[in-house]
Amino acid sequence: MKINLNGEIVFASTGGRNFELKGEPIWFIHGSGQSHLSFMLQGRFFANRGWSVIAADMPSHGLSSGVPLDTIEAMSDWHIALMDSLGVEKVQIVGHSQGGLIGLDLAHRYTDRVSRLSLVATALSIPVNDNLIDMAKNKEPAAIKAMIDWGHGSEGHSHDHTMPGQNHLNYGVQMMAANKSGALHADLKACVNYDNGQSAAAMITCPTQLIIGQQDKMTPLKFGLKAAEALKTVNVTIVENAGHMLPSEHPEEVNRALRPFFTKS
Amino acid sequence: MTGDYKFNTLSLHAGFTPDERHGSAAVPIHQTTSYVFKDTEHAAALYNLEVGGHLYSRISNPTVAVLEQRVAALDCGIGAVATSSGMAALFVTVLALCSAGDHIVSSSQMYGANINLFQHTLSRYGIETTFVAPNDPNAFAAAIQPNTKMVFGEVIGNPGLDIMDITVIGKIANDAGVPLVIDATFNTPYLLKPIQNGANIVIHSLTKWMGGHGIALGGIVVDGGNFDWGQNNRFPTLTESHFGFQGVNLYEEFGPAAFITRVRTEGMYNVGPCLSPTNAFHLIQGIETLGLRMERHMSNTKKMLDFLLHHEGISWVKHPTLPDHPDYEVAKRLMPKGAGSVIACGVKGGREAGQAFIENVKVASHLANVGDAKTLVIHPGSTTQSHLSPAAMKSAGLTDDMLRISVGLEDFEDLQADFEQALRSAAKI
Repeated sequence: MKINLNGEIVFASTGGRNFELKGEPIWFIHGSGQSHLSFMLQGRFFANRGWSVIAADMPSHGLSSGVPLDTIEAMSDWHIALMDSLGVEKVQIVGHSQGGLIGLDLAHRYTDRVSRLSLVATALSIPVNDNLIDMAKNKEPAAIKAMIDWGHGSEGHSHDHTMPGQNHLNYGVQMMAANKSGALHADLKACVNYDNGQSAAAMITCPTQLIIGQQDKMTPLKFGLKAAEALKTVNVTIVENAGHMLPSEHPEEVNRALRPFFTKS
Repeated sequence: MTGDYKFNTLSLHAGFTPDERHGSAAVPIHQTTSYVFKDTEHAAALYNLEVGGHLYSRISNPTVAVLEQRVAALDCGIGAVATSSGMAALFVTVLALCSAGDHIVSSSQMYGANINLFQHTLSRYGIETTFVAPNDPNAFAAAIQPNTKMVFGEVIGNPGLDIMDITVIGKIANDAGVPLVIDATFNTPYLLKPIQNGANIVIHSLTKWMGGHGIALGGIVVDGGNFDWGQNNRFPTLTESHFGFQGVNLYEEFGPAAFITRVRTEGMYNVGPCLSPTNAFHLIQGIETLGLRMERHMSNTKKMLDFLLHHEGISWVKHPTLPDHPDYEVAKRLMPKGAGSVIACGVKGGREAGQAFIENVKVASHLANVGDAKTLVIHPGSTTQSHLSPAAMKSAGLTDDMLRISVGLEDFEDLQADFEQALRSAAKI
């Protein structure tokens, strides 16, 4: 669905079902240079099982207009504004990668708006190589290719896909290329500049979970486990043969981990 | 392409993971129509496209999926759907994009069945086609209308061997908000990856070089995922409510995969030109050696061209790698490794001499196919196009002395000897 937020168009996938506010929606937050499409199979899975689902494209991403946001805090505030515009009081968050940082910040600063926090392939901080940031600014297609390459584990690189006939790597490239130019660079800078993850994690009181890819090169397993330690959560799922692009590369394992974590009205 | 495996590695491995239970090294043939659901929720999830898997082999099949994923990887596509033939691949592509009242701009010099589909079949359903010369980009630009839904052509035209400059024509099409759909049968991804060179959708007859053995029919549609279907209001089949899946908008829901999702959920689901798992298996075996075979096709083609150019029984030779070919420069730029293994040439003595040549070859096979590992020859004037008048032949780019040679992988010395003796027989006519 399309929402007008402060004069800009926001596209939010509702999992292929009409959005009807029931209980606390599952609120998917995409990663750097990604869009609602990275949660395609999670959104459809939960929407078809009666949950209210929102997977919004942040400004300049996917089908949303606007200028890219350049800090994690600004992204959190934007999500709160979107919740307000939809009349949503409280959400259950799934944050992937950079979306996990936003989830941490939201659960820390807006404790009354977040009831549950699931972090998928993320960490307390996401340092980004200077070369990648430079590439994102000056050679965006090369940066996208590098991220898609590093972001997928052995299954993605085998070109085997759970959806018959599809291709992880080339789909990932085209999905990221569909964002407005500059969105990826702003995202990566926001990740680099966010250094509040450790203290945010210490303050978070809502139930949390982590889903981590065993072969993740971008937010490696050990950093995911550190986040789990800081959050004092025992709800940790490690997915074998999976890289950073967990939600698309291993959708069934991710859905299996997410499903018991969420409540439904 | 990302930092990915290279061509021959992909040809051998892409799209297949040995199953944990049996560990079959070769791709198993899943000769089954249907699949046992784990429970009702699993069945519903498959129908709702919310989990991966197979529900009925008309729509997808594990063996066919390996083939689809392998070709998608080779062609740099975001996904592919395999079909029972190359013609079926073209039809489901048109079906996904066009409705009554729509329009196609197509090359005029291509495989007769492609022309027939556009000219005589689709027109009965209200889809009109404007045909233009494949090597005239301005004609493509001029022919695009507000209701044009695709620009179509073959990289290497069959049988005239005209070359379509897909980089230039792709830009023209995309600037006008229309996708370029390319039949890449004659080039295969070994010689040219159209998606990396201006095309948005690629179609192959897998029956030809991709399989290479001449034992299995098959086709495929590969989606580049590089066309923005939502940039205008031209593609309601992709950007408006789809009749399946609770009226979902494919563009919003599946993004770059909107088109290929429509092909599977409409073309395969409602029409059903599916590829048999056994044929998919045979085609996979062929693709495993595609790179090696194409190298040999190219080297034998070069030797054959040299032989024909210097033979007194041959009046003319046409191939895009020859400097006198009108599209020589375009072919050299697009396909530096070679411009296919089909050669057109004229036998001195006209139609009767051509016929005599064909009837006297012994190593080469006389049949209506191309791209086999074996060398194939045909004389269109006395066979496939024998019903055409001289004027119609000329308009199709054919002459009555023309031979079409699909150069195979035999030891070239044997091919040369065979052609020598057949040309001697033709000279006696």
